[in-house]
Amino acid sequence: MIQKMIAPISVALVYNHKTRSVKPVKVVWENRSYTVTRIGFHHTLRQGRTLFHVFSVESELLFFKLVFNTDSLGWTVEEIADGEPN
Amino acid sequence: MENRIETVQLEFNPKSPTIMHVDLNSCFASIEQQANPKLRGKPVAVAAYATPRGCIIAPSIEAKELGITVGMRVRDGKRICPNLIVVSPDPWKYRNVHLRLREILESYTDVVTPKSIDEFVLNLEGYPSFTRGMIPVAEEIKERIRKEVGEWLRVSIGIGPNRFLAKAAAGLHKPDGLDVIDKQNVVSIYTCLPLMKLCGIKTNNVARLNGQNIYTTLDLYHAPVWKLKAAFASIVGYYWYVRLHGWEIDDVVFERGSFGNSYALPDNLCTPEELSPILMKLVEKAGTRMRRCGYRARGVHVSVLYRNGCHWHKGMTVQEFVFDSRDIYKVAYRILCMSPYRIMVANLAVSCFSLEKSLYTQEELFSDMGKKEHLVQALDAINAKWGDFVITPARMMGLQEKVVDRISFGNIRELEDIGLQAS
Repeated sequence: MIQKMIAPISVALVYNHKTRSVKPVKVVWENRSYTVTRIGFHHTLRQGRTLFHVFSVESELLFFKLVFNTDSLGWTVEEIADGEPN
Repeated sequence: MENRIETVQLEFNPKSPTIMHVDLNSCFASIEQQANPKLRGKPVAVAAYATPRGCIIAPSIEAKELGITVGMRVRDGKRICPNLIVVSPDPWKYRNVHLRLREILESYTDVVTPKSIDEFVLNLEGYPSFTRGMIPVAEEIKERIRKEVGEWLRVSIGIGPNRFLAKAAAGLHKPDGLDVIDKQNVVSIYTCLPLMKLCGIKTNNVARLNGQNIYTTLDLYHAPVWKLKAAFASIVGYYWYVRLHGWEIDDVVFERGSFGNSYALPDNLCTPEELSPILMKLVEKAGTRMRRCGYRARGVHVSVLYRNGCHWHKGMTVQEFVFDSRDIYKVAYRILCMSPYRIMVANLAVSCFSLEKSLYTQEELFSDMGKKEHLVQALDAINAKWGDFVITPARMMGLQEKVVDRISFGNIRELEDIGLQAS
């Protein structure tokens, strides 16, 4: 089931200065914590002049599409899926 | 000249193949599977709408194996595979992949031509990478795409002496193929390749060729120029002769001819009044893209596909160039009112043609064009800063979620826009 939404979400992001990479490591959604096991894809987009970073991440149970607004420094979740048909 | 063409006899191009065609397999669906690992290995279809009547625009490799094809309705796909996972397109994801692929390919040669969102043509002739051999370079490109873009992405690569044969080679073994067509193997490849598999040969052309006793690709290859000219009744026959003999004929860049947008209507709308908000949004999108690329137009075209299968379209040339969406809308609405049909519309499209560069330069006497230009520039600047459709005509109210961002499959011209948006 794929669920589309736009909702604020808590995300822990780690920056590694040696590899110069960032990755979300933990997501807290509806009072439950999910450890990110894999980043499927990371891309960027612009709405007007605002740059957004989009992380498509997987936890053991769920997939999250996380969007980081570089203006407001806030995170939203735009998609949650469990990999099953709709 | 005519006689010279008819008597020309070409050998197959003897040079080493230098053209590489790179095709991302099941592009949109593979990218969705890359982004969401939970979809990997499962039948997935990217569809314009997830509703039963939605059109599948990209099935995954797993879905294709089950018989799900591009253009199929979602309900038909679900009938074949009840577990089919239907996802909506995410154009920005695909644009990002396209730009990353382009970046990798441009590290091998400057001559990289994007043919569409998922296809590129490279010419390595004269570049240091060519000395390493075409096949090692192709293998390295595949590996780099897996490492640098996504491990689930697979590309088919074809190598040939011209663009046509490189594309044909890329289509021989999908997914993840790597094939070469050159002087050594061309006859054996043509022997196994059905006519309909050639890019540009479909039912009508097959009928034309059959009329000249040409039934196989090998027949086509061995046919003299006069026979091909007779089959196609034009110079096109000569082009096919040259193409199949490995000489370049398709290295042509066409100028941009139009800017257009279309929308498949989910609601049952019939009259111009009902269609006007959607027409306005289509005009606004096409007009914004046209102005962003620095063009203005002298013609507007409206195309309507009705639910009963009828198609009506009309173009109109105007006296003065138009660039303001409001002016384009006025012409488009006038055209739409000319349609004799008042039946349910399935698809509405609008485009601007007869383009001219150098927008905002030509002053017109006795008109307030200067004011209008400044206003449109200001509106475009606001929309560019705060996001598309921040300021919209009142006619578009309530249409925020309609005519959403879409990406064209085959239209290379759209890639200009990608480049602009990425910069």
